[in-house]
Amino acid sequence: MAEIVMAYSASHAPMMAADRESAPREQAASFFGALRQVRDRATNSEVQAVVMISGEHFTNFFLDNLPQIAIGLGEGHQGPLEKWLKIPKVIVPGEPGLASHIMEQTVSAGFQPALSYKMKADHGFMTVYYELDPLMRLPMVPIVLNCTTKPLMTLRQCYDFGKALGDAIRSYPGLDRVALCAAGGLSHFVGEPRVGDIDEEFDRWFVGQLEKADLGDLLDTPNDELMQAGNGTGEVRAWVAVAGAMHGHAGTTLAYEPIYEWINGMGVVVYEDSLPSTV
Amino acid sequence: MSLYELQRCLFDYLRSMENATEGSPRPELSVEGYDLTDAERDALVEGDIAAIYAAGTHPVIVNGYCRAMGYKRADYRSLLETVKPDLEGKARWQKS
Repeated sequence: MAEIVMAYSASHAPMMAADRESAPREQAASFFGALRQVRDRATNSEVQAVVMISGEHFTNFFLDNLPQIAIGLGEGHQGPLEKWLKIPKVIVPGEPGLASHIMEQTVSAGFQPALSYKMKADHGFMTVYYELDPLMRLPMVPIVLNCTTKPLMTLRQCYDFGKALGDAIRSYPGLDRVALCAAGGLSHFVGEPRVGDIDEEFDRWFVGQLEKADLGDLLDTPNDELMQAGNGTGEVRAWVAVAGAMHGHAGTTLAYEPIYEWINGMGVVVYEDSLPSTV
Repeated sequence: MSLYELQRCLFDYLRSMENATEGSPRPELSVEGYDLTDAERDALVEGDIAAIYAAGTHPVIVNGYCRAMGYKRADYRSLLETVKPDLEGKARWQKS
């Protein structure tokens, strides 16, 4: 059966690829240094595939048809779509066997994800995926969450989905070593007057919560309260799903930098199956 | 239903820009074929960001449209100066 040999969550601000040099050098070094650590761990673990969760940006779905969760089952995923993103345009290999297994198992667990054999990977996936594998050969199972269009899943629902996702990955017989990644967040504001603000207080609180054994306070946060930290900040739903998949294991914050030039709180939190259980 | 039509119009416009040949002039936004109110049509034709936002347009679409029009992050406050932030109560992470 597959093992989740590495799980992590990272911010996916488009500017980290579109205008990488605009960030203060020390902040960029801290953030990319953390992602480099993650890449090294993936290399050392000989990861065979990555399951990535990101928010929907109206790349795959629109208001005529918008699932809360969707899983990409295709043989490949076109990305990135944004012309201005400085990442080569490629077809990222898919992992249809694992994706289908996740689909079946999460439905059996009571969730109703949509499916797509033609999922595209926008900056939400590609910025973080490119840092994980610059050659972009690592097979990916993309999962999109609705993080911005009400009604939204609660954090507790995302956590529970993550638990089902983790169980699904660990029951897959076709691979041995899988990575799990959330891409999105931390705090940011999109298409509204506060664009450019970063809620540092929220960001530090949030990554601190992920390092705790008891996530109750975090999971009880109502959606409207979460929205106070920014209308783009709901992408942390993906981070909470990864925390659910890794329940029993505390996260470790490798980096947090409020990078105003990228209009985004930028963080990296990692989980390891080898860490002692916190429950 | 017309809020959907307004958003669809913007979404289709943004997609048409993505598909445009690099270096070609920016395509015109067309409101033909969309079931819009007069106010919505005016907002779109005039590129009135405040009116588009106030109509309830999804912020991801507002963001895409503003970027396509060449606005920068510093422009949002002035473009949307009439918008009041919808903040109620103290969040659990706030110390003060």
